Parts: sequence; C-alpha cells; structure tokens
Amino acid sequence: MHPSLINPAVVGYICAMGLALAYLVQRHELVHRLAVLATLAAWAAHTVALIVRAVELGAPPLGSLPDAISVAVWVIVLVEVMIEQRSGLRVLSAFVLPIVVLLSLKATTSRPANLAPVLASAWIWIHIALAMVGFAAFVFNFVGAIMYLLQERQLKIKRPGAFYYRLPALETLDRLTFRTLALGFPFLTVGLLLGAIWARTAWGSALAFDPLAFFSLVAWIIYAGNLAGRAAAGWHGRRAAYFAIVGFAALVLTLGAGLFLPGRHGS
Amino acid sequence: MALFVAGLSHKNAPVALREQLAVEDDKLRELLGDIQRDGVLPEVVVLSTCNRVEVYGVADAPAEARALAFRHLCRYRGLDFSAVESVLYTHLDAEAVRHAFRVAASLDSMMIGEPQILGQVKDAFALAQACETVGPQLHTLFSQAFGVAKRVRTETEIARHAVSVSFAAVELAKKIFAGLARRAVLLVGAGKMSELAAKHLVEQGAFPVYVTNRTWARAQDLARALSGTAVRWEDMETALAGVDIVVTSTGAPEPVVKTAAVARVMHGRRGRPLFFIDIAVPRDVEPGVDGLQDVYRYDIDDLKQVVDANLRERAREAQRAETLVEREVGKYLTRQGDVEVIPTIVSLRARLEEIRLGEVTRTLSRLPDATPETRAAIDALSTAMINKILHAPISKLRESSRAGASRSWREAVHELFGLGRRS
Repeated sequence: MHPSLINPAVVGYICAMGLALAYLVQRHELVHRLAVLATLAAWAAHTVALIVRAVELGAPPLGSLPDAISVAVWVIVLVEVMIEQRSGLRVLSAFVLPIVVLLSLKATTSRPANLAPVLASAWIWIHIALAMVGFAAFVFNFVGAIMYLLQERQLKIKRPGAFYYRLPALETLDRLTFRTLALGFPFLTVGLLLGAIWARTAWGSALAFDPLAFFSLVAWIIYAGNLAGRAAAGWHGRRAAYFAIVGFAALVLTLGAGLFLPGRHGS
Repeated sequence: MALFVAGLSHKNAPVALREQLAVEDDKLRELLGDIQRDGVLPEVVVLSTCNRVEVYGVADAPAEARALAFRHLCRYRGLDFSAVESVLYTHLDAEAVRHAFRVAASLDSMMIGEPQILGQVKDAFALAQACETVGPQLHTLFSQAFGVAKRVRTETEIARHAVSVSFAAVELAKKIFAGLARRAVLLVGAGKMSELAAKHLVEQGAFPVYVTNRTWARAQDLARALSGTAVRWEDMETALAGVDIVVTSTGAPEPVVKTAAVARVMHGRRGRPLFFIDIAVPRDVEPGVDGLQDVYRYDIDDLKQVVDANLRERAREAQRAETLVEREVGKYLTRQGDVEVIPTIVSLRARLEEIRLGEVTRTLSRLPDATPETRAAIDALSTAMINKILHAPISKLRESSRAGASRSWREAVHELFGLGRRS
C-alpha cells in the first residue's frame, strides 16, 4: 500500500470493524449503515492507494508479499460487501473485518522489497494473483467455519445466546464453507503449480526449499483432504469446519513464513 | 385546551374490573355521541380492549372531562363511577403523548411487542373518525402514534422472537435448516400440541407431513386433517430416515424414539440434520441422541428455556424502543408547540400591520408632495420597526411553547396587544 494513503484505508477499515462489532452486540440500523459506509469509504481509499502504488512501481502491486496481501485484502473486502448485499448476511462483516484489519496492518507495516529482476515475468504476476484470490476465498471459508461452530454449539447446548439470534441457519453456513472451499481450491492449486514451474525455470528445482512454499503445500494438502472428504465421504458440518480452521492456520503460517523467514518470497 | 388520556389497564386494574368496563363497537358509537353532546370534549377517542379502557381527549378542563366520559361509560355498563374513579390514571400533554405512543407501539402491553394492539388503536381511531369526534389535535396525535409504532416494529426486534413454545420450535428449525420449504415432517403421536406445531411448520412451507401413532385409526385421522400420510407404527424408523423434523407427543411412559435407532438412521443421511421437537411428558425421545452429530433434540423444558431467552431479548429490544419513543415524543412536542402559538403570532402580525398601514396612510396624506422615493422610504422604515419590535415576542412565544408552557404567554400577548378573544 502506498504510504501516504495507508492511513485513510487502514483507519477506515478499523472504524468499519468497530462499527461491525458494535452492530453484532446491539443491532442498530444506523450502526449497520455507518459500518457499510465506512467499509466502502475505506475500500475506495484502498483502491486509490493500489493504483498509486501500481503507477509508482510501473507494474501490478504484487511484486512483494506486503503488496500482494494488500491486494488480497482489497479482494476480501469487495467480496464481503457483495455477499452481504446479496445474501443479507449482515453479521459477516463482524467476522471478516478483524481479519482484514490484521492483514492490512501487517501489509502496511512491512517494508515491501522490490521484485528481483530474475523473477519479472507475466507468469509470476499470475502466480501471485491466483494465490491471493485463493487466499481471499479461504478467509471466507474460515469465517464460515467459525460461524458454523458457534451456531452449532448454541443449538446443542440449547441456551440461545447472542450468536443464536444473529447467525443464520447451520445449513446456510455449511453451504458457505463448502462453496468457498470449492472456489478457493482451484485458485490455490494453479497458483502453487505456477509457482513450482517458475521455481524450476528460475532456480532449476521446483522443490527448492522455501518456507513459504513449504507451508503453502501443507495448506494445500489440508484443503485437498477437506474437499475430497466433502465430495467423496460426505464430510460436512463440524468436521469440515475443523478442517477449514486448520487449513487456514496453515495459510497464516504460510504468510508468516513469507514475511518473517528468509526465503525466495520475502524480504 | 389540553390533551389528556385517562383510563385503566392491566397494569393497575384487575380483569374483573376491566371486563366490566369494556365496550363493544356499536355501544362505543353511542357513547362517543353522548360524550360529545355534552360539549366538554371537542375531541375524543375511546380505546376499549380486554387489557385497557382509555379515553383520549382534548378539553379545557381535563379532570371534568374525564369524569364525564367515565360516568357515561359506567352508565352503559351499569357500574358505579366511584368504584372506577379510584383506579383511573390520567396523563396530561407530554405525558399523554408519551402514553399514546407507548400503547400503539405495544410497549405498554401485557405481552410487550404483541401485534394486536396497533390494530385495536387504529380501529378505535377509525371509529371516532366515523363518529366525527376527532379534531386536528387527536388526528395529529394518532397519525404520529401509528408512525412511531411502525418504526418500533421495523427498527427494533421487539416483536421478532417467538414467545410460544410451538413458534419457538419453528424458529429453532429455521436456525438449523436454510428455510423450511419442502422439509419433511413426521408426527409421532397425535396430541393437540404436536398438531399445532405441525401446522406452524406447514405454514412455513414444510412438506410432506407423515403421521404415525400406535392406534392406526388415529394416525389416519390426523393425517387426513393435516393433508399428510399415515405411517404404520412399526415403520417409524423407515420414516425417520426420510424426514427432517420430528414432532413427538405420545402418552407413552417410556421413550419411543431410541438413541440406537436414531444412530442407525443418521448413518444413511449423509449429514442431513434431524431435528426432534419432543413435546411429550414423559419424554418420547431418548436424551442420548444429543450425543449424535447433526441431531438436535429439544424437549418441552428446552423449548421453554428458548422462550425465556426470547422474552429477555424482547425486553432488551423494548429498552431501545423506549428510547425511540422518547425521541419521537420530543419531536412531536416541538412541532405541536409551534402549531399552538401560530394563531397568536399570525394575529399579532396582522394587528401591527394594520396599525402600520393606518399610520403610513395618514402620514402620506399629509405629505402630498412626497416623491415616490420618500414614500418607499417611509414604508420601509415602518416595516423595519414592526419587525424589530415583533422579533422578541415571537421568539419568546415559540420558546415557551417548546417548553410546554405557552398558555400564559399567549394570553399575555393577547391582552397586551388587544388581540380580542383567543380562539
């Protein structure tokens, strides 16, 4: 993200998160509207920041992990607003925006390194873009799983609390986690394949050790298992939700590896 | 003229008294006529439901008007007014507005958020309109009250959560299934309660309905009543495999739905949830099914617990509704206040304009040589003076009416400027 525009977007997301959480506690129409407005305003600022960054770099702002995360955040917010508009699932933002805030804080505080010349190629952009879209889908997969587990627990213990009233039906949530898994998985798969192919051309080995590549492979295996279980063995509900959470944890480790460990993806 | 509401409700009067005072519509028509003929109440609406009997009116002497209205009421029902008088409450002006808004918004109801009261208030208002006992003040009051009630219903969840066991069961089903359309229901046992729950589910689109009962004939009867299919008692397990919601209400001393059977059934359902609504006492479904995945079992106590939680949720929402009503009362008074002093302001302006025109004409007649510019200057000078003089009294009038104390100021203005009889 462009430094001069960091503040408007991130501050906007933080405000939107606060409002979305407030709406979760006290369902007030005005609070919801303000949350949507804050989200849209922050997203607009974010869009401008990404364009400025792209002009500055003379290339898509995907060349470093912080930049790529920023793009992923942009996609996540866009999808979040769209789902909320289409399905009326108003509590979604209360779950998604905290992740958005954490990611965008991370993206703005890390110093983006410039892409090594050896990597500059159209394929690398596609590799990163696909991986980020996949990541965005898995954020919703994770959030859907959390909401499913919360609602399932409420229904099992038979003491309706705040989440019982605010969250939608179990079936709706299970469907959300399934669809986001089915959507994210192909993106992740092709993204990883392109990465491996590129690594082979650039460094002579597809499996050259890189921490990010390693964790992303772990995440891919978990998601593949979850998808296979769902498709073939009728996995659903709680089990699928646990897998979604473990898979997302692996993705978080993947990003962490890219940001903090030396390797080919990061600083 | 003061706005007032006087009456009694479930809050302060026992049902024995309320039922004696309740009046049906055609009697109410006569009553409104009688009250108005006395000439003490230029505007009146009478609201009579099983939980409240109230007179909304506009009168110079509210206490007198109240006594009059309730004397008529008591006469109709052959009651002694002195027996009623002690329990009557009276709210004046702002209090009356607040009360009207709270009643229409179902905040003063026995069951907060119940939907009937708004319709009853609307009917009472329509009846009074038909009898031509509604004037501008009550018209504004009631149309505002309907608006407030609508806002409360849409902006708070005061009426959203079920407060009956059977509706709570339907709501629970909606938290498990994404919509109830084409969900199959199985009724085990043919009790009245289960029939009611089944009807609610069918209203939400649940279909088809299966009925099983130890007595084959009873199963067939109920199946016919619900346009469902009767299932043999021995085939219950097969039926369980194909349905989504099971309502049980047999009189059996032992559970009739066993955990082992449900476990077998769940095996072939590939994760389709199964929801048991067990209304029977003793219970029909073994509590052990709680341990099975995708099985949700609510017995009568669980459902009551949900209803209690819903009531607490409603109470929380009622707090928000009260805030909303309070804001609306404030707005209403501000608007009303201005309306109250506008006639005074208009006649005050008219009076001074009359004086000004008279003096300007007189002066100009003594100045036949005055140029058009001079005439215009005199006119402008006099107008400016009038406006300057009027500024303070008009602001004061508006201010006092917003504070709800315009009467003495209005009277003073009328006296001081000789505005004649106040309307």
